Amino acid sequence: MDSILSVQHITKSYTQHKALDDLSLEVPRGSVYGLLGPNGAGKTTLLRIINRITMPDSGCVLLDGKPLTESEVFNIGYMPEERGLYKKMRVGEQAIFFARLKGLGKHEAERRLREWFSRLDILNWWDRKVEDLSKGMAQKVQFITTVLHEPKLLIFDEPFSGFDPINANLLKEEILRLRDRGATVIFSTHNMASVEEICDHITLIDRSRNILSGSVDDIRRTAGGNIFEITHRSSHEELSATLAGLATPLGESRGIVGGYTATKIHIPHNEDIREVIRRLNDRCELRSLQEMMPSMNDIFIRAVNGTLK
Amino acid sequence: MKKIYLIIAREFVERARKKSFILTTLLMPIFMIGMMVAPSLMMLYGGSEQKQVVVIDHSGIVSPRLQSSKEVLFTAENNMDKAEACKIYNAESGIFGILYIDERVGDSGNVEFIINSSSSLMLEELITSQIENIVEQEKLKERYNIDNLDQMLQDVATPITLSTFENNGTGNNEDMESTSAGINYILGIVLGMLLYMVIIIYGQMVLTSVVEEKASRVLDVIVTSCRPFEIMMGKILGIASVALTQIAIWAVLVIAASKFLIPALFTADVAATSDMMLQGVIGTLGDTAYIAQLFVYLVLFILGGFLLYASLYAASGSAVDSVQDGQQFNTIIMMPIIIAMIVMMSVFNDPNSPVAFWASMIPFTSPIVMIARIPFGIPTWEIVVSLVVLYLSFIFTTWLAAKIYRIGIFMHGKRPSWRELGSWLKVK
Repeated sequence: MDSILSVQHITKSYTQHKALDDLSLEVPRGSVYGLLGPNGAGKTTLLRIINRITMPDSGCVLLDGKPLTESEVFNIGYMPEERGLYKKMRVGEQAIFFARLKGLGKHEAERRLREWFSRLDILNWWDRKVEDLSKGMAQKVQFITTVLHEPKLLIFDEPFSGFDPINANLLKEEILRLRDRGATVIFSTHNMASVEEICDHITLIDRSRNILSGSVDDIRRTAGGNIFEITHRSSHEELSATLAGLATPLGESRGIVGGYTATKIHIPHNEDIREVIRRLNDRCELRSLQEMMPSMNDIFIRAVNGTLK
Repeated sequence: MKKIYLIIAREFVERARKKSFILTTLLMPIFMIGMMVAPSLMMLYGGSEQKQVVVIDHSGIVSPRLQSSKEVLFTAENNMDKAEACKIYNAESGIFGILYIDERVGDSGNVEFIINSSSSLMLEELITSQIENIVEQEKLKERYNIDNLDQMLQDVATPITLSTFENNGTGNNEDMESTSAGINYILGIVLGMLLYMVIIIYGQMVLTSVVEEKASRVLDVIVTSCRPFEIMMGKILGIASVALTQIAIWAVLVIAASKFLIPALFTADVAATSDMMLQGVIGTLGDTAYIAQLFVYLVLFILGGFLLYASLYAASGSAVDSVQDGQQFNTIIMMPIIIAMIVMMSVFNDPNSPVAFWASMIPFTSPIVMIARIPFGIPTWEIVVSLVVLYLSFIFTTWLAAKIYRIGIFMHGKRPSWRELGSWLKVK
């Protein structure tokens, strides 16, 4: 795997508690990487260590296989969880200031900003003061200042908090667009729906440790445990008899339109799937069969409770 | 290094275009002139109403010769007895007080002043000096029997004016500047106060603004673009440039006034006036080169003093989460500044006392004390040594402050203890 960022055995303790405990992860180049975990799990600490705001007690962070240099850190686009803008400054001037700190020229910065502002439909905020903006509005501005210099690595801490669903969707589209243009995006979140929609890879951090890491598809399939939903025309007893030895129906069946019934079944062995389909087709008027992926929400809760696998 | 300029420029532009900055820059000279002029105006016009004093003179020599003036009106009631007068001229009568002089005043020198409200030093001095003169002359007349004494006394009376000059080694005083202690005193106070205010006001601006940046988490964003030291120095230098701009505007106003306004206002009148003090003031203020030189020193000391303290203010701001918490550090930083102010006041009695000398060398008090001493004429080497020490100390405090700052800006929560601050200094 070609990883742009490699976090190796990071440990960080504060006086009262251990924030990160021997945590490692690999971020594949060009992916959208989700960092999940309950409150206080250590997500923000990890992001701050990657940005060298906080120094780890031990372990290291490699960018393209080499330790991070100062100028590389200064090139990362980082949006902290607590939004930080000068309240008394006008939006446009402020955005230009941040862009120039990231090394853009004044005119280039203004040109790119106007382009971004018009795409996100906030061009009329240019001369307003930040203190007059709502939280969500300020966040849009902050997002733009974070990505404006087109860094190859983008880090967002809780990017969706404070956004309404419409703007959250807008943000998701922009994140995917940035990925398509070659950026690698790391973000932390509680918002599981956003993970399913846009993440390629995730790491689940709980109690300072990496408890689950991998591509979203793999994780859902593994955690899914071969659950399928079938629609058919037969009673529960007929179904059980048909599948005996190959699969077991789970829970209640529910009637759906057209006289069909939907039932979840568990097929323990992958190689039995064809046989199951054949039997169902012959005896139960099978109409459809679909693999049931568990939601990331389920996986999150099960992983944190230790009931996964 | 380009980034530090961006930070300086932002600090400067954001502050210098505020209405409050423009207003204080323009109003401050008016306020300062007001402070200088107010005491004399109050003496001239603000004097309280004439006070009525009833005089019971049993000696018979004083009351006929007491001179009433703008301040006090004497009324003789020589036949009244003291107890009776006290009864009649009580608080409701509108009489200020009763002056009781007995027969033996020439021997005892005792005079009683029975008053209905509170007296003032000035009034008491006025009365005693008059009575002293009267009794003295009366005794001369009585005991030595000299004719035409009044005329003789008037003839020999000579008011003395003390003109002070700086020794230039030639003894030729003709074209030497007169250095009146009075004008030095005023200049010293104005310059010292100015420095004090700049350090306090702009220093606290540094503290407040660091706290705001930290609390609003803007710092979290900026540190991903540049080093904490650049951010801290950018802020300090940005605010310093605002302060210097303000002083430059004042300098231009004052120098312009010295060059054009003062010569235009006082040409013939000055020669005519016998008031040496006024001549000294106008002479000094009209000396454009001298005023310009003072401003150069002022800028050097303000910059040095501000930078010395600003880094401490920045470190304090970085260690706390709110301006209220910062007040506790602020109080400690203020202490040497206030000591400097106290020493400055003693400078005016003796500008070359050991206390004045050392206080103008020790960096924490030196800017304020030294700038107050400069108008009195201080050897240049003292000024140079003081400046060198000041700027070296600024490098030291900045180095110290930077160590606290780069850790403090990421610490949120309770105010750190001194022990914790000490441990931050040790972090590599």
